[in-house]
Amino acid sequence: MTTETIFQAIQSSALSLYISHLNASAGAIAQLFHIVGFLLILTAVLLVNLRLIGLGLHRQPIPYLAKVTAPLVTYGLLLVLVSGLFIFLPSAALYFPNPAFWLKFILLAFALTIQWTLYRVTTRLEQPHPALAGITALLSITLWFGVAFAGRAIGFLN
Amino acid sequence: MTILEFLQQLHDSAFGTALRESLYMFPLLEGVHLIGLALSVGLIIATDLRLIGVFLKQVPVADVLHSLRPYVLTGFVITFITGILLLWAEGPRIWEIPVFPLKLALIVVAGINALWFEIKFGRRVAVWGGSPTLPTGAKFAGWVSLTSWTAVVICGRLIPYLEVTQH
Repeated sequence: MTTETIFQAIQSSALSLYISHLNASAGAIAQLFHIVGFLLILTAVLLVNLRLIGLGLHRQPIPYLAKVTAPLVTYGLLLVLVSGLFIFLPSAALYFPNPAFWLKFILLAFALTIQWTLYRVTTRLEQPHPALAGITALLSITLWFGVAFAGRAIGFLN
Repeated sequence: MTILEFLQQLHDSAFGTALRESLYMFPLLEGVHLIGLALSVGLIIATDLRLIGVFLKQVPVADVLHSLRPYVLTGFVITFITGILLLWAEGPRIWEIPVFPLKLALIVVAGINALWFEIKFGRRVAVWGGSPTLPTGAKFAGWVSLTSWTAVVICGRLIPYLEVTQH
C-alpha cells in the first residue's frame, strides 16, 4: 500500500464522507477555528521567545511567562488539530501531491520536538545562558512561523 | 471617482497587473500578511486578555503595553503594507465582497477604541495598572478590542469563501 492509496482511503472513509456532506459553510468555519488556534500558539510562543532574547517583558521571570502561556499552546493545538482534521479528511487525496502540505508537517514535527524538548528545558531556567536562550528563540520562532507560512501556501499550490 | 473606479485603475496599472500575474508575489504577500497579523493581532489579543483580567495577571499593565507596543506596531505596518499591495492587485474583486468593507469598518472601530483607551487610560497606566482588578473602562476597552480584532480576522479569512459562492 503506497502513501497515496492510504490518503485516498482516508478520503473515502465513512467519517470523511460524513464531513464532506456537512453544510457548505462547515469548511469555512473549520478554517476560522484553524487560524484562531494558530494565532493562540504563535502569540504564546512569541511572548516567551521575545522575553528569552531580552526584547520584551524583561521584568517577568521566564518560568512564569512559560507557565501562563502554556494553556494557550495547549488550547491552540487542540483547536488546530480538530479543525485541521475537518479540513484534511474530506480532501486527503487533494493534499497528497501538494509540496506545501508536506513541508508544513515536516516543519510542524520539528516545531513540536523543539517545543517539548529544548524550549521546555530553557524556559524552566530563571537565567538561561544567552546562547541557549538565543538558539531556543531562533529555532522556535522560525519553525512556528514557518509552519504558518507553509500552511498558507497550501491553498496556492492546489 | 468612486472607490470601485479607483481600485479598477490600480488593478489595471502596470504594477497591479505585475503583482496579480506573478507566480510568487501574490502567495508571498498573503503569507507575509498572515505573519504580520500573528505579530500584531496576536500580541494585541494578549494585551486585551490582560486588560480583561484573565491572562498575565501578575504583570503590571504598563509592562505589557510598553513591552509589546513596538512589535504590535511593526506587525501592523507589515499587515497594512501587504494588505495595500493585495488590494492593489485584486481591488475590484475584493471590494465587491460585502465582508471586505465590513472588515475595514471593524478595523476603524478597533482603531477608535485603541485611541480612546490611550487617551483615557494609556497615559496614566502607571497609576492604575498595578492592581489585578482594573477600572471598568479599561476592561471594556479590552473586550471591544478583543471582539473587533477577532471579527476582523474572521472577515478576512471569509473573503475567499464568500467570493467562491458569489461567482
